[in-house]
Amino acid sequence: MASTTAQPTLSFPRDTFAKLSPHPYLLAHLQPSSSASPSTRANGRSPTTFRAPHVNNGSLTHAEGSAVVRIGDTTVVCGIRGEILLASNVAGYRVDRSSTAPSSKPGYNETKELDLLVPNIELATGCSPAFMPGQPPSTLAQSLSTRVYSLLHSSGLVNGEDLKIWYQPPDLSDQDKMDVEDSESIEPEVKAFWTLYIDILFISLDGNPFDAAWAAVVSALRNVRLPKAYWDPDREMILCEDAVAVSKKLRLNGMPIAVTALVFRAKEQAPTGDNKYWVLVDPDAFEEGLCDESVTVVVDCTGGETKMLGISKAGGTVVGREQVKQMVGLAATRWAQLGPLLKG
Amino acid sequence: MTISAEPSATLSHLYRADGSATFSQNGYTVIGAVNGPIEVQRRDELPEEAAVDVIVRPAAGVGGTRERHLESILQSTIRQIILIHNFPRTLIQITLQITSTPENDSASSKLVQASSNLPILPTLLQTTVLTLLSASIPLAMTLASISFAINSTGSSRKIIRNPTLEEFQAANSVHVLAFTSNGQLLVAESEGSFTLEVWDEVYEIGKDFCCDVTEPAGDDIMQQDGLDGNTGGMAFVRSTLEHKVSADLHWKD
Repeated sequence: MASTTAQPTLSFPRDTFAKLSPHPYLLAHLQPSSSASPSTRANGRSPTTFRAPHVNNGSLTHAEGSAVVRIGDTTVVCGIRGEILLASNVAGYRVDRSSTAPSSKPGYNETKELDLLVPNIELATGCSPAFMPGQPPSTLAQSLSTRVYSLLHSSGLVNGEDLKIWYQPPDLSDQDKMDVEDSESIEPEVKAFWTLYIDILFISLDGNPFDAAWAAVVSALRNVRLPKAYWDPDREMILCEDAVAVSKKLRLNGMPIAVTALVFRAKEQAPTGDNKYWVLVDPDAFEEGLCDESVTVVVDCTGGETKMLGISKAGGTVVGREQVKQMVGLAATRWAQLGPLLKG
Repeated sequence: MTISAEPSATLSHLYRADGSATFSQNGYTVIGAVNGPIEVQRRDELPEEAAVDVIVRPAAGVGGTRERHLESILQSTIRQIILIHNFPRTLIQITLQITSTPENDSASSKLVQASSNLPILPTLLQTTVLTLLSASIPLAMTLASISFAINSTGSSRKIIRNPTLEEFQAANSVHVLAFTSNGQLLVAESEGSFTLEVWDEVYEIGKDFCCDVTEPAGDDIMQQDGLDGNTGGMAFVRSTLEHKVSADLHWKD
């Protein structure tokens, strides 16, 4: 294919070349004929350049928290709705902290056991030609939902205490001094939980869905204001205060961001080894179609040092220790860029 | 409830599939079957390579988003080890049925969407490799997989190899690695909070375990290594196959 383009009579315009033979097209960009020109990707970025992010918080009025994140041509809307789960509706829920209760076991995660965080990713919005509206969720959508779900829990981003609605029973022992046992201080009890429905809609998809989705989730969670909810003992139900002043934000543990890169190999079919390759960060849809191997690292640099919260790598053998180290370095620079925007 | 961390495997026990294997480790048991290369549906057909289809069925209920995620990890991994370019316009279909998972006292209420997707991943990967070997599908390499749980208390940290489910849940971070027989990292999945140094350490231990770094000169040494209690990942695959081959060729003696 490349030889035909050399003949002046049979030259293609750029986009025809890209459509006819995408792999040599990207390779020609990354491996320029003269060593003077730098290696750039077909989209004009260098292999380690990210796309510029744009974040807009709180644009959905009916959600408790929301964010619109745009990274290049990938645009994600994330809305978070809070619903109340009554503790009396939880089968086998126990308030006591005795040693036999399941909550006393190491590694018990109440937020997870009660499913208080429900992320869902919708790709069938017409965001890209690959996902038609009205179709059942594609494998990619389901896979992304699972990844967001497990990262939400494994990173411990949301503090479980913020989702509990407590009730302090009034101390009635003053009127009735007869019973000595009752006069002991009455423990406050959990009457209900907030369940956060995290809906992530892709408006347009041009590669790298996970990074954008996760950035939207983090930004929307930072934007959440839950109304003050309390247990009304007379009506025996949970009531919420209207006033915004008494509503409270979630206390999030740090601010993790995800950075994905793909590995583009010079030879499509050759066994790995002496093969030349490029690691392309923040890939677009064109590059995703040409690469098998992907790496995602999740980092949090809140405390000044780089803390890792996840690595996910599959599909190839190029990325080893050194490449992961480089990825973490790149992710730290991305954190400095994206972090202030997500705080917004 | 005793769970053996030692792996065990049975090969080619399903007669209607092209290849099959049962593999158990850490309380997880998975039956794998492979059919291929077979005819592919027109819309899934790939002109230059075989389509690889992985189906993961959970122990209870129908597959959900978690199974789709595991399938996509497995599919992209297996595409690397099968010589898919040798079978253009065909399908290689791998079905993995989880038959038992370790009992979990603290999370007994949730059967279908059970906790993390990582603990089962090494078992699924290992079953897949044994299944493919049983079907004699041409492979570029094999792989071995291992999981780690890391507990950090202050400055000291404890690395648990092949942790139980309780250890998995209580750990600061959990890691699943798979290495090819050439010693290259093929799959890496980590969750929880850790540092790059911890990951490097896990990488080294995993690599030592998965790829018997002390490459033996002759096969007889290999065999002895493979038969003792603490087998490496690759050595286990090898000794399992050697047992199978010697049992199959028993009539010759």
